[in-house]
Amino acid sequence: MRLLMAPLAVVLAVAGLGAPAQKLPWQTSGSVHAPMVRFLYPQQVQVSAGKPYTVQMHFRIASGLHINSHTPLQKSLIGTTLNASAPAGVKITMVQFPAGAPYALAAFPSEKLSVYTSELVVGMHIVAQRGNHLIQGSLRYQACDTNTCFPPRNVPVAVDVIAQ
Amino acid sequence: MRRNLFVLSAMVIALALMIAAGVINYAHRRLGDRARMQGEQMQLVPANAPPGASTPPTAADLADAEDASTTPLNGQQAPNFTLQDLKGQSISLAGFKGHPVVVDFWATWCGPCKLEIPWLEQLQNQYAGQGLQVIGISADDLDKGDPAKLFTEKREINDFATRMHINYPVLLDADAIADSWGGVDALPTTFFIDRSGKIVASTVGLAPRDEIVSDIQKAMSSGAKS
Repeated sequence: MRLLMAPLAVVLAVAGLGAPAQKLPWQTSGSVHAPMVRFLYPQQVQVSAGKPYTVQMHFRIASGLHINSHTPLQKSLIGTTLNASAPAGVKITMVQFPAGAPYALAAFPSEKLSVYTSELVVGMHIVAQRGNHLIQGSLRYQACDTNTCFPPRNVPVAVDVIAQ
Repeated sequence: MRRNLFVLSAMVIALALMIAAGVINYAHRRLGDRARMQGEQMQLVPANAPPGASTPPTAADLADAEDASTTPLNGQQAPNFTLQDLKGQSISLAGFKGHPVVVDFWATWCGPCKLEIPWLEQLQNQYAGQGLQVIGISADDLDKGDPAKLFTEKREINDFATRMHINYPVLLDADAIADSWGGVDALPTTFFIDRSGKIVASTVGLAPRDEIVSDIQKAMSSGAKS
């Protein structure tokens, strides 16, 4: 009899794969409120004091979403920007965004878009004096998927700069 | 021995039933997904892609879209609002009592909204005789503390409405009423209100045109005329 139970358990598990996962009353959809863009890294960089350094800030854009590039091709679109405040002892000399990928909505093929998808790397050029500094700020973006657009949002960023 | 055979037979039958249920369930879900994909939807394609190419939404997108495609306000009385239109006149939802009303939240930066708005314009014309009133509410940010910026922002919304040939009232400042309408976290979000002021359907994101027509017909056919 015990020999029968093992295959039974396996078959039950396989059969269960076909069934949809039931959502419980307190489980809400993650599509609207889930983070659309996340700051991945770095949380800390070590730099040479007084010398220019570029912090390559990596962001993950959720699957299926796109955000406008820093330089959208239409005036009405909201570009991605980085707002960062430099603490005393750090100068942010430039923030460099990559070029967006050219896209078009199928319904409006002549209206080109410039967007980021998947991963975004923003270069923040800094010069730091000797010591530890915390650069804080946020990436502002406006995301859409194929059928929906979401209001502009901010994702916080923080990078600890150790200058030696 | 006979008892073991009986138990074994019962287990085999139970297993067969479970597997069959799983297979039927899976086939049903596949059919549902396919039906959703066949609706007229906005698609995003690379600019240099060959004609007909598209980036299909992932399964996770579809599952999320299904869960988030309506709002919790369905079945409730539509919250009243009073907002200014593009000419600065105050418009209240209560002023349309007795009419089936479509309230559409959109923004100038929303691509899918640009596909839905012409549908609403056509449907406004088509069902005007039956009392339908479409109301568009712009979710574009307004810098109320900066008169110069505010003037420019209003002008841009007005220009957009003109370019799109919008033939129904366009109201400003969705943010002012968004909380009472469930947050309006995604655009377009569209509510279908019957003659008694009850929300009979809603869509979050671009819905197929057929679904919008069906929701309008639902709004027109329910609720007593005042």
